[in-house]
Amino acid sequence: MSTPETPPTGGDDPGRGLSGVQRAGVVLGGLAVLLIVFVVLRGNDDNGSPSSSSAQQTTAASSGADPTTSDPSTGSTSTSTSTSTPTASTGSTSTATTPEPAVQTVRVVNGQPAGGIKTISYTKGDQVRLKVVSDTADEIHVHGYDLMKDVTAGGSVEFDFEATIEGRFEVELENAGTQIAMLEVDPS
Amino acid sequence: MRRLRIAALGAALASAAVAVLPDAALAHGLVGKQDLPIPRWLFAWAAAVVLVVSFVALAVLWPKPRLETARETRLFSVPAFLEPLCGLIGIAAFAFVVYAGYAGTQAATANIEPTVIYVIFWVGIPFASAVLGDVFAPFNPWRALARGVAWIAGRVAGGRLPEPMAYPSWLGRWPAMAGILAFAWVELVYNNRDDPSLLATLALLYAATQLIGMSVYGIKPWTHRADAFAVYFNLFSKLAPLHWRERTVSRRLILSGTTHLDLMPGTVALLCTMIGTTSFDGFSQGQLWTGTNGIAPELTRRFANLGFSQETALEITFTIGLVFMVCFVGAIYRAGIAGMSSIGGRHDQGELARRFCHSLIPIAFAYVVAHYFSLLAYQGQAMASLVSDPLGTGSDIFGTASTIIDYNVISATGIWYVQVAALVLGHAAGLTLAHDRALVVYRRVRDATRSQYWMLAVMVAFTCLGLWILSASAQ
Repeated sequence: MSTPETPPTGGDDPGRGLSGVQRAGVVLGGLAVLLIVFVVLRGNDDNGSPSSSSAQQTTAASSGADPTTSDPSTGSTSTSTSTSTPTASTGSTSTATTPEPAVQTVRVVNGQPAGGIKTISYTKGDQVRLKVVSDTADEIHVHGYDLMKDVTAGGSVEFDFEATIEGRFEVELENAGTQIAMLEVDPS
Repeated sequence: MRRLRIAALGAALASAAVAVLPDAALAHGLVGKQDLPIPRWLFAWAAAVVLVVSFVALAVLWPKPRLETARETRLFSVPAFLEPLCGLIGIAAFAFVVYAGYAGTQAATANIEPTVIYVIFWVGIPFASAVLGDVFAPFNPWRALARGVAWIAGRVAGGRLPEPMAYPSWLGRWPAMAGILAFAWVELVYNNRDDPSLLATLALLYAATQLIGMSVYGIKPWTHRADAFAVYFNLFSKLAPLHWRERTVSRRLILSGTTHLDLMPGTVALLCTMIGTTSFDGFSQGQLWTGTNGIAPELTRRFANLGFSQETALEITFTIGLVFMVCFVGAIYRAGIAGMSSIGGRHDQGELARRFCHSLIPIAFAYVVAHYFSLLAYQGQAMASLVSDPLGTGSDIFGTASTIIDYNVISATGIWYVQVAALVLGHAAGLTLAHDRALVVYRRVRDATRSQYWMLAVMVAFTCLGLWILSASAQ
């Protein structure tokens, strides 16, 4: 430890010291401000559109519930849904899977994803329907969910599973070690 | 750590092995989960918290130093036989991990070695150190080995061993800084980062370097200054409320241990390296860096055009990014110090930079928590299966070989809150330490307070950088 120079003179310096009550007041005031900001910001929750940096994002319309996930960029704040609001329900309990969820297709050309690595977004509880059309024979591996299916050259495979794990997961040509898509599952 | 990007490379390496053991390499489902970026509203809220906390702290913090003068209370002492026992355990663990690296499968996710090195050792020990104190020191394998050899040699020579050379004071913690930078380079830049046998070779090289250093300069001086991992873990342990010294354990005020950091050369550089490398780990996963219009593809293309192979070009690009990030962090800190030196006169920048650098320790730890908490929570679970099948040969020693990672152990929202809480608490701790030190450095409370406007700017910059890297804006 360094040698302390002379301790601060006039450490108690009554002019600028605050009383205990004043200190508590400052702390409480700070807490109040934070609480208000938290509530306000959380109100216009825009985490449906995960990123603006995209230009390479396809966003899968999820199972009828959440049409705001149309495109990033727009300031479409309000989640104006027609069916049951997905906020509180923790996933699959709502049996409102009326329309067939759209199938997202990833094309593999010359062993590479056509159009670069796309992010395919879902909300937890959605049904993921992912089709891979490949001109290369390999094994398709959806990480995290750990699903694997073989694809023949010129053939296609389809995955159909419920999005139960939140996060970002690589979809990969397992043997070639090439990432072909990013699966993103957002909290419901 | 790029989620043990073992995915990309490991899979490439493993592709051969996969053909042979289709399940062993994949059954654990180790790989490929990244955290979701912090949503914008939470980012904005956290930034607001940081500002409010800062100004409340300025108003409320004590006018007399407290942490600097905190006393320790002795709790209990540790029996003597534990010391060699812990050392033996450390040596055995080290030897086994290296052995697994050479003898086990070279599929990174099926071999216990990469997970032990990158998750348990590199991330787990800092977490443990910050809570329990310096838990690494008794198990430090190369130190234990050196002490064992010294003990035997002392017996044989009958106490006539040559005195070690004096450790050069100008060298300070620079060797530790170089070691941490090198480890980060291997982890974040090097293409073969997941190759178990190569990692084993690097581990042996590191241990050999330490043994040479300890034999030349003495075990204690070298371990406290130059052994990169010992120094790194020891820095985090200064945050802990427990202090292990010789064989006694004392209790102390949380954070107060950092005030006893000896300010030898290289300490500031080491701390900036710690923060900078962690920042680069997050930054290098973001769109700004890796995206189709990002910096990395562009730079890589240019280097490839200069005649480098694609792999080398990628490594050069990432090396530049890593070094830039470390320098960037250093520049933020030095800018704050430069501002502070304008107050009260009398203190030059070098002195201030050293005397306030202990306030970066909680920031560095906050970065580690924010970036690696989920790695520990998820990949740490892989240890359950790996201990039963450490070499990836299909054995099942403890009957847990088929355990899989439960990715729902904590939700994405939970991870966000941990990340934000870590950064905000680290910020508050850094501010508190800097405030306390300022009361010692400056004679007048007024000067101390004014100097802290600069430290406040530095801390806000670091915390917002940390938040931004994790947020949707960067990812």
